[in-house]
Amino acid sequence: GAGQDVGRSCILVSIAGKNVMLDCGMHMGYNDDRRFPDFSYITQNGRLTDFLDCVIISHFHLDHCGALPYFSEMVGYDGPIYMTHPTKAICPILLEDYRKITVDKKGETNFFTSQMIKDCMKKVVAVHLHQTVQVDEELEIKAYYAGHVLGAAMFQIKVGCESVVYTGDYNMTPDRHLGAAWIDKCRPDLLISESTYATTIRDSKRCRERDFLKKVHETVERGGKVLIPVFALGRAQELCILLETFWERMNLKAPIYFSTGLTEKANHYYKLFITWTNQKIRKTFVQRNMFEFKHIKAFDRAFADNPGPMVVFATPGMLHAGQSLQIFRKWAGNEKNMVIMPGYCVQGTVGHKILSGQRKLEMEGRQILEVKMQVEYMSFSAHADAKGIMQLIRQAEPRNVLLVHGEAKKMEFLKQKIEQEFHVSCYMPANGETTTILTNPCIPVDISLGLLKRETAIGPLPDAKKPKLMHGTLLMKDNSFRLVSPEQALKELGLAEHQLRFTCRVHIQDPRKEHETVLRVYNHLKGILKDYSVQHLPDGSITVESILIQATAHSEDQGTKVLLVSWTYQDEELGSYLTSLLKKGLPQST
Amino acid sequence: RDLHTFELQAPTRLIEWARGNRVCVAGYGQSDGNEILQLVPPPTLLTKETQGLCPERDFKVECGGFSERPVYSLKYVPDTSLLVSSGPPDSSLQVWQVSAEDSDVIKSISTIATENGTWQSWAKTATISARAPWVLHGSRLDRVQITEVESRKNVYTAASRGSEELSGLAFLDCNTLLLCCATGQLCLADIRQPQSLVEAMSVPSAPCSERWCMGTRHGAQGLELSSQPVARLSSRGLLTLTDLRKTSEFLALAKARVPSPGSGAEFLCVSWAPALAGYLAISGFDGTVHVYDTQSWDSSGREAEPIFVHKGHAFGGAGGSRDPPLVTVHTWHLQKPRTLLSAASDGSLHVWDWVQPCGKC
Repeated sequence: GAGQDVGRSCILVSIAGKNVMLDCGMHMGYNDDRRFPDFSYITQNGRLTDFLDCVIISHFHLDHCGALPYFSEMVGYDGPIYMTHPTKAICPILLEDYRKITVDKKGETNFFTSQMIKDCMKKVVAVHLHQTVQVDEELEIKAYYAGHVLGAAMFQIKVGCESVVYTGDYNMTPDRHLGAAWIDKCRPDLLISESTYATTIRDSKRCRERDFLKKVHETVERGGKVLIPVFALGRAQELCILLETFWERMNLKAPIYFSTGLTEKANHYYKLFITWTNQKIRKTFVQRNMFEFKHIKAFDRAFADNPGPMVVFATPGMLHAGQSLQIFRKWAGNEKNMVIMPGYCVQGTVGHKILSGQRKLEMEGRQILEVKMQVEYMSFSAHADAKGIMQLIRQAEPRNVLLVHGEAKKMEFLKQKIEQEFHVSCYMPANGETTTILTNPCIPVDISLGLLKRETAIGPLPDAKKPKLMHGTLLMKDNSFRLVSPEQALKELGLAEHQLRFTCRVHIQDPRKEHETVLRVYNHLKGILKDYSVQHLPDGSITVESILIQATAHSEDQGTKVLLVSWTYQDEELGSYLTSLLKKGLPQST
Repeated sequence: RDLHTFELQAPTRLIEWARGNRVCVAGYGQSDGNEILQLVPPPTLLTKETQGLCPERDFKVECGGFSERPVYSLKYVPDTSLLVSSGPPDSSLQVWQVSAEDSDVIKSISTIATENGTWQSWAKTATISARAPWVLHGSRLDRVQITEVESRKNVYTAASRGSEELSGLAFLDCNTLLLCCATGQLCLADIRQPQSLVEAMSVPSAPCSERWCMGTRHGAQGLELSSQPVARLSSRGLLTLTDLRKTSEFLALAKARVPSPGSGAEFLCVSWAPALAGYLAISGFDGTVHVYDTQSWDSSGREAEPIFVHKGHAFGGAGGSRDPPLVTVHTWHLQKPRTLLSAASDGSLHVWDWVQPCGKC
């Protein structure tokens, strides 16, 4: 997944033999099976529960968790599902809301049920920020703050010394109610980052906010009503704080309403998870709860018919059903009114239609609705742009980067930018594509104490800064690695030691007798190899350390002597040196 | 009045219009790793009517390239997919290929080398594609040449006169060149007569040395060169308008109310509005851009009152101990008559328009 704009995010990672699924999103644009990720990619046969070690959900947006009940209850998965506490609290609400609309309003049949949502959530294990969670003996995960929406997290997945960080959706600049994403220098082998806004240079928040407030103010001043369809959670809180501050500053009297039901619960959750909001809110929380609004009140259906100006936040966000659509129908005919769409609208929804310029809509019962009210769009969504992505990479210091993007566009420029600045490889796979990242894992090995003592005794004292080269035998048995001395290895394995001996023949021109040649060689070597023990043995052979040299006459040619140089494997270096030395010939004298 | 503010990752000192209404910006930092970006402006800027809230309000980076040297000047070569850039440490030019359909990387394809004298500043450039894609370039009066971009062949070399540093050059038409020296002198040249260089139009003498730059009408093709006055701006704020047919006297002379620039005249910029007769804009003294209506000017040299002053950049920065941002460049929108784009040393990029003041608005 995560191929198209508001896509179905779903990434499968195989790390050190463990398989983890990251996010399980739904595509809001489709009404058939295309809305769910294609889970047959995971494994053709065999149960998903056996194959997957865990599932991690980054945040409650439906394009990241919308397919979860379908996946766990209809496709079949009984393993653990990890998410943060706010996500666990809010996810089922959004899922139920969407289920109601899809099934009840649209009458679809192949969709998950309320019970399935409940059963799915029973498999969820909630995690805290920066808490290391052991999934099993080898796999551990940790959540980091991602900004973006309440409870959104970036996850680090670690097996042994290999790790992957998945960002989900994140934001590197704080806004009015959430802080900015943050991660420590965890140096993962791979960082998987969203890059939807990587090629965008956004106009400043101040400008957008100022324009939004101007439009709202102008409409209210001329007695019109402003409808802002929102999803229960997310940007709605941001806009509430914005309006509340503006109303206070400008001393405005027109009422602002927040539609009941879902959104009341939402404010409740924000209060509950106050630690997930930004510092400013937490600081002022003691004096004044930011989510206890002075100017914003709960909405009652009847208020929509009240005369005079007002601002109403109503769900759902795309005007596809529910209260916001009801209010829209009441207000659409009056050109003094305004509807402001604060986010992306999926094709097929009323929101999408009016943003495309349609002014005559066909409603249920063949009724035509003429839209005379002003239609405005403004996106306040919080995603990281190119600068933000670079910042995150700078913080985490990954060895490889993988970009998951919202559009199928090529992003060669960003890839080069990342590769040049950080000297890491950057990947951009398409849907269904598998990317393999090579890592250099460290393999821990136990070394026997005796070997350690022996090796450290040889040579200069160990320097803490320099690696010391040691020799030993690596024994791999079952799942353990041990480094022992060769003798011990032989003993354990019940093997006999073999000695390797090399013998080399060097021909020397010398017509004299053998013992005279030997003497010449002896004197020659003695003179050159002053640091070595060179001995002339009574039996006519020469030894240099443990290397043996003997001389015989050539069978056919009396003028040539054959020197046999013989050494063991351990003396290879000296042996080769001697051989080449002798091959150069003997000095004339003596 | 509409204002959109954007923040580039690195400040730019150029804003160039390219094919298909694209806008190019580039970094001028000392270290390498400067980026050249070709941006697609948001739909708001392409429509005639101004809308407060619109589906897309953001610039999109369509393609980008990496330059090893700071980019001080970048020009799109008309009717091609090529860009020519220049910058310190010498006066050579870099040629780039933009192929937005295949890849989003702007590739460096060649270098136009120039002989390096003892002291060479970076080359000022101008492009035209009348007979072939040409680039007019040079850092000094005696080093002006025209090179064919694709073949890198030299087509014309100006006869050398003095060796003053140039602050700008332009094609008035496919045969006539206009050169502006940093001292303020303007020179005309006909490329069909390489030996003659018509020197003209000195500037009012000044007690201290000032730097001058010039502005010519954009996209005024088809119009006679004679009918377009040339504007010159000095680092002290003096503005002169000269008719190229009568070079012995000034058409107009005025003084802008600007602070004396502290760090020299690095970013002096003056430009004519493409769609409003007689309007020009200046910047480079501080964090503001001034718009003037020159139709009421005479040759007295009096102080002129700007029609509008854009102060956005001055208020943009983080404030505190940081230096106030300096506007590095501005340009007019090619179709929307009252819209301008300006950039400053803090990386900000503003798109703004202004209304004619009608009494007290």
